Amino acid sequence: ETETGSGSAAHGPPRAALSELSALLAPAAGEAVRAGAAETALALSGSAAGRRMLAGRPAVVAALLELAAGPCPPAARDALGCLVNVSAEPAAHGPLLAALPTLLGLLPAGPACGVLANLCRERGAARRVLRGLRERGSGLTPLLQALGEPRPPPQLGPLLCNLSQLPEGRRGLLDRSRCSVQRLLPFTQYKDSTVHRRGVVGALRNCCFEAEDHEWLLSEEVDILPFLLLPLAGPEEFPEDEMERLPLDLQYLPQDKQREEEPDIRKMLLEAIMLLTATKPGRHVVRDKGTYVILRELHRCEQEPDVLAACENLIQVLIGDEPGPGMENLLEVKIPEEVEEQLQRGDREEERWRREEEEAGGSTPCPEEPSG
Amino acid sequence: MKRCPAEIDAAQQPDLACLQSLLFDEEQGPAELARMYKNEGNEYFRERDYKRAVIAYTEGLKKKCEDPELNAVLHTNRGAAQFYLGNYRSALNDAVQAKKLKPTHLKAIIRGALCHMELKNFSEAIAWCEEGLRIDAKEKKLVEMRAKADKLKRAEERDARKAKVMEKKEQCQKEILLAAIKERNIKLVLEPSNEEEELAHGLAEISLDGFHSDNATGAKVHLDADGNLNWPVLFLYPEHEQTDFIAAFHENSRFIDHLMLMFAELPPWDLERKYLPSNLELYFEDEERAEMYELNPEHTLLQVLQHESQKVIVKPVLLTCTVL
Repeated sequence: ETETGSGSAAHGPPRAALSELSALLAPAAGEAVRAGAAETALALSGSAAGRRMLAGRPAVVAALLELAAGPCPPAARDALGCLVNVSAEPAAHGPLLAALPTLLGLLPAGPACGVLANLCRERGAARRVLRGLRERGSGLTPLLQALGEPRPPPQLGPLLCNLSQLPEGRRGLLDRSRCSVQRLLPFTQYKDSTVHRRGVVGALRNCCFEAEDHEWLLSEEVDILPFLLLPLAGPEEFPEDEMERLPLDLQYLPQDKQREEEPDIRKMLLEAIMLLTATKPGRHVVRDKGTYVILRELHRCEQEPDVLAACENLIQVLIGDEPGPGMENLLEVKIPEEVEEQLQRGDREEERWRREEEEAGGSTPCPEEPSG
Repeated sequence: MKRCPAEIDAAQQPDLACLQSLLFDEEQGPAELARMYKNEGNEYFRERDYKRAVIAYTEGLKKKCEDPELNAVLHTNRGAAQFYLGNYRSALNDAVQAKKLKPTHLKAIIRGALCHMELKNFSEAIAWCEEGLRIDAKEKKLVEMRAKADKLKRAEERDARKAKVMEKKEQCQKEILLAAIKERNIKLVLEPSNEEEELAHGLAEISLDGFHSDNATGAKVHLDADGNLNWPVLFLYPEHEQTDFIAAFHENSRFIDHLMLMFAELPPWDLERKYLPSNLELYFEDEERAEMYELNPEHTLLQVLQHESQKVIVKPVLLTCTVL
């Protein structure tokens, strides 16, 4: 395997340069030299090959992390930026997790959220991060508080999304004694960062898997539904009686109201509402609050086939008959083995189809934008 | 005596005045004095005598002691007393001062948030709640207040959106109405009370606000479901200083039809029994030229309105009615 095409040819043969780099990043090298080395590392991490090389060197990752937590701002910024990129590589996860306390100490700074978000794509790493946060005593609180800041870091959304793939992460977001999931809600309409918005919507969808919290999520205390519906609503005017029956947040929307422009986010919103209809009281509230009217209008203008399918599924549930006894909680219904097998086969096929599509499209991994 | 009188007069109660001077001895440091006033204020507060509590805390603050903690408490407590007096602005100022002196003083932050709630600054209330929740993420009052403020803020935003939509709708209806009037070649003039700059716009761009100027009865010219105009019309009978008012005179109705109805029975003021429909003459006035034009009772309102000298003001059409 040759890695001469890494795009940083100015730094000589990469392998030799790498050994040098870790020496230059070490404290013994002095402040100016370390800052220069961090800058070089950041440039190197811009390419996939560079990321792979850096990630394969635990000493480099450790030195970068030490620099990131250090007192020199430009070097720390470059080192952390480099780590965000490198953390997209699974090989970097070992050394990063080894220095988890240092990493958690950098929260809730944006790049630190980014590194952790990348790490937490793996369930095992997410579990360790959650444990680390708990051991610090504050759990998710600093992250939730950062959401209340005027400009929360955009990487916070993906981090919360990835943490909420685990039940213990969802528990943190669904803590009723504090303002937790409520802080996430306004960001379904957040225009400043698609990355953050996508992460937050993903986290909300994950929370909707907790059926025993549905009633609370839909109650006055949280009132999640309007926040999930608002991005799906357009500028359509409704007759006054229909309008007044909608949740307040959806009433009298301005003429320039736009729907969520990212199809995958629209789909996640629909899936979240779908999950909320899994229980009988949930279905009742979702039906009662004018969801159908919003979906009817969405259905008229939706172009994306899979979003359209999600929309149709949800409409089916809303206008369909109530399921019989024993089937009220759709998340708990026992699925016959042969049906499950069939569904899994379908999923596998879909997965393969998606992979082929990705390969055909030649899409490169995008380290700054981890998915949930 | 069980209770201390609120005001101590040294001449009448020398013993009390003596005690008071002992309590509030100038030789004591400002911090001790401020603390004393704080305790006095707290006593009043417990008795719900908020006015005197405010005075006591103010005295305490006047001592300008160097203990920021104590001053923060004095401000917070005075803020609480002001709050119960309904002086939310003053209460808020005290909460701000207290927070400045001691940024972690949760009581002051809760008070400030409560003041913003009362003042209906819901966004501000949320910001104060956030600040408090950074100190104690589980503070129940703040968690609940934040939820309430958020709800009220969203309701307020919805009301603002609704008002905007309604205003737009009204504007749209006015434009349709104006187009209908123009289409009929009816000359509109502005009410004399309107601003000069609006007059400058001329007939073509007549200010639609004229339609707002409801007369006493609230009747306005309007389009009915069939697209016909209905006008408010006022009949004057100068001879007897009497009037008749028709709130919605259909543009295709004839005057005689209305007169037949109105004078089917003799009006009580017509002692001479002259006001019979067939005897009546109708005039409208060209105010500019100060001329009166007679109109044919067989004509419809629309025909009269389209008369070259008829200029309609957006208040009722004025007609003078006399007897032959």
